[in-house]
Amino acid sequence: MTEHIVKSFDDELDELTAEVARMGGLAEQLLSDALDAVVSRDGDLAKAIIKRDKEIDELQLELERRVILLLALRQPMAADLRRTFSALKISGDLERIGDLAKNMAKRALILNESKPMSLTRSVHRMGHVVGNMLKDVLDAYTTADVDLAVDVWHRDEEIDAHYNSLFRELLTYMMEDSKTITTCTHLLFMAKNLERIGDHSTNIAENVHYLVTGEELSEARKSATKYKKKK
Amino acid sequence: MQAKASSAPKVRARNVNVFYGSKQALFDVNLDIPDCSVTSFIGPSGCGKSTFLRCINRMNDTIDICRVEGDIHLDGLDIYARDVDPVILRASVGMVFQKPNPFPKSIYDNVAYGPRIHGLASNTDELDGIVETSLKRAGLWDEVADRLDEPGTGLSGGQQQRLVIARAIAVRPEVILMDEPCSALDPIATAKIEELIDDLRAHYCIIMVTHSMAQAARVSQNTAFFHLGKLVEAGPTEQIFTNPNDTRTQDYITGRFG
Repeated sequence: MTEHIVKSFDDELDELTAEVARMGGLAEQLLSDALDAVVSRDGDLAKAIIKRDKEIDELQLELERRVILLLALRQPMAADLRRTFSALKISGDLERIGDLAKNMAKRALILNESKPMSLTRSVHRMGHVVGNMLKDVLDAYTTADVDLAVDVWHRDEEIDAHYNSLFRELLTYMMEDSKTITTCTHLLFMAKNLERIGDHSTNIAENVHYLVTGEELSEARKSATKYKKKK
Repeated sequence: MQAKASSAPKVRARNVNVFYGSKQALFDVNLDIPDCSVTSFIGPSGCGKSTFLRCINRMNDTIDICRVEGDIHLDGLDIYARDVDPVILRASVGMVFQKPNPFPKSIYDNVAYGPRIHGLASNTDELDGIVETSLKRAGLWDEVADRLDEPGTGLSGGQQQRLVIARAIAVRPEVILMDEPCSALDPIATAKIEELIDDLRAHYCIIMVTHSMAQAARVSQNTAFFHLGKLVEAGPTEQIFTNPNDTRTQDYITGRFG
């Protein structure tokens, strides 16, 4: 798009996008580290994650301040308005993703106190799928790639399937051996966290769609079939 | 008066071309304007929005070198037909200008002037009634009721603008054209006019030229964007300001050219 007559307006919008991308990078890293901490039973890494979540929270507050100022001083319209609004919405989702990753790190610390379980592998696998989803939706955001956003949006079903199968698996273990209940419950909550992160990624995909096209994704659900799936 | 509801356009323009001498100012404008709502014309200076506005009550007739081609219909009637008297047309299609232009007469006479020359009142009681309802509808009555004999020019800018709106209303128009009605007013007076416009739209088709995009967004239900003499895009205001179809509209309303 061509530049604004007032150049500093362009700079401010670019900074918004950059800040969201930075938050996205942090959230992505936090999630992948949280999964590593679970699998490798790395207590130090888990503690570091809990601290690093604060960084995302601060970035989000900063971004909210910027958005308020931009709305008050620039009155963005059309694509600029959508860009401002999306930045605000997406940063909210990323902040929640950070919280969920932090919660996984806390549970990892607790898991370290009991015997390792092979099921952590399944959680890690699900986490890997969710991590890819998050990575792709952030790419879709920075490159304004609607097709990729729609693709991510469709993957939410896959995550739900993962979650349901993990749920059943964990239940079976708990019924067989009640000593595993503590561990399994924490793993179940982790799976739930991952499922929530998937939901937030889907929200972000919807926002990317709105940002680029000006239309809500649910409205375009039917026409979404015209976008090819990249599976 | 009851609020009118109708799906047929109040004003319908087809292939309107306007020339000032050899210079073409408008190119093939096609636009339907609904009744009982506010339609804003936006666009950079010289884009033709005021020219088009002035076509709707044949104000361009007063400019010798101006030539209007195409059709403009008001309620299905061709306003450029030979048997149309522009003076009577202008009672139906009132106009409010950028700078308030009250007559150098009393507040009362400013409003009574139109009804008198158009013979809308048969006695002074009736005329008093028209003046009062017009001033009330223009939101000015409470401020001037006790000084109707004072000159209209003695009012503040915002009050003068509401006075000329009352003057336009007094001759029972169907359409009110407003050419940047708030550009000479402070924010408070502007807000009062905008509030008034919002009240008036229940009864009139209001068409407004504005340079303030925020104003167009605030007060109008439909917005039309003009550029270089062409109507680029027209549609519901919320769509124009959140998701315009044309990149020129997008660039203009987001401050990328103009």
